[in-house]
Amino acid sequence: MKTKSHFAFFDEGSKKEIRRAILKAVAIPGYQVPFASREMPIARGWGTGGLQITLSIIGKNDVLKVIDQGADESVNAVSIKKLVQSTTGVELVERTQEASIIQSRHRIPEVPLTPEQILVLQVPEPEPLRRVEKSAYKTKILHSENDYSGAWLMLFEQIMKYGRTATGADHPVYVNNRYVMAPSPIPRYDNPKLHQSEAIILLGAGREKKIYAVPPYTDVESLAFDDYPFSVESFTGKSCHLCGAEDVFLDELVDPATNETIYQCNDTSYCIEQLNKSEEVEVETSHA
Amino acid sequence: MAIDHVHDLQFVYKKILNSMSRPGQIASLQALEGRSDYNLQMLDATLLTIMSLLDREVTFHVLTENEENVAEKISEYTLALHTTIDQADFVIALNGTPETAIIQAMAQCKKGSLIDPHASSTWIIESAFSDEQESELLLTGPGIKDQTKLRTALTPAVWQARNACVAEYPLGIDLMLTDEELQVVCIPRTTKVDMMGVE
Repeated sequence: MKTKSHFAFFDEGSKKEIRRAILKAVAIPGYQVPFASREMPIARGWGTGGLQITLSIIGKNDVLKVIDQGADESVNAVSIKKLVQSTTGVELVERTQEASIIQSRHRIPEVPLTPEQILVLQVPEPEPLRRVEKSAYKTKILHSENDYSGAWLMLFEQIMKYGRTATGADHPVYVNNRYVMAPSPIPRYDNPKLHQSEAIILLGAGREKKIYAVPPYTDVESLAFDDYPFSVESFTGKSCHLCGAEDVFLDELVDPATNETIYQCNDTSYCIEQLNKSEEVEVETSHA
Repeated sequence: MAIDHVHDLQFVYKKILNSMSRPGQIASLQALEGRSDYNLQMLDATLLTIMSLLDREVTFHVLTENEENVAEKISEYTLALHTTIDQADFVIALNGTPETAIIQAMAQCKKGSLIDPHASSTWIIESAFSDEQESELLLTGPGIKDQTKLRTALTPAVWQARNACVAEYPLGIDLMLTDEELQVVCIPRTTKVDMMGVE
């Protein structure tokens, strides 16, 4: 495909700078490497960090999947896909298994990732200590001194208030037993997928100008107290009203017609795949 | 055929990224054989690595016999600035660099600070290596499932010097080894390198 702009939008100098930052991020898992976040054709806070990583690593033969909170077809995902495709001509897919680069906002796909894949997560706030310390310089000192009492205190206060740790998303994690990292606002349900992952996980925060990473086979432990162990969202007894899946992360919706609470797979491509599978079985078994 | 600065260097970078993420896993740049028509007195794999990572924003120091000559050429091709060992973002040790020179340079190079551990030097070392069974290095750490083995032409004394550099994690240096077969293997600072049979 012939494109008008330079391949992958960026000039080669920008790519090199981001590429060097990614290498450092991989070498120091969980540490936020500063980089010169570029002005992008989408607004900061809409995935520019992830987008800059994707554009810096993507090649002609890559296959890209972009998801926004599990959905392949929401505006943010579609806009990013269009930009990357119009500047690189790469193939776009929705099936997780077919992608070589998966850029995601706030979810890790249900299908386990493989060593051939790279997961790029968009990060709004890379600093896990930001809520307890406003100064970036001071949080850098806290990281250097391995002083994460602020992160522990946040969890402790939640237990005091609600009787349990109540992080809705972005539950902080220890990476390689050294750095406490914001895993981006993925649900707690996805935190265990970071641990000893097969795929490389790169995280980019465009507005905050930080890149960090979790290499494959790296220990990632969610912060928790001995008497209040880490737990993921529970969906026992609930299943997707479309495909019937039970062991996945479900969205809670209200049926406007009946006012009943219904549940639906958050990962749309997984849901569609389940539906297609059951349709195949249906076609095979029913003789019209 | 010349190096395609967009697609060939993306290919090289992707290989390096994968190697840095999976220490000890050997990546092949064989697909780009014959691309380099520069006369730079260095291995093709080294040249491709340098071309994909260096530019005007970084500095380097080169360890070799005719240092000035090579350094000038690297500067001309990449626009990176040649500097002293204690300032360099990239340290390039070409084939034939004596063991003592590498060890001395490792002691002097940048290892970052606790506040900015990324402000450290990345080493590109020309050295033969393989992942044969009777390898002498045992690698463990992030990016490695269980453990992996590696044999390199670098002496145990060099590896001891490297281990001393990374003793105070997150401070340290990240290594990239390049060989004549157009291969690259990376050892970031997180990798624990144990020498087998050396007491």
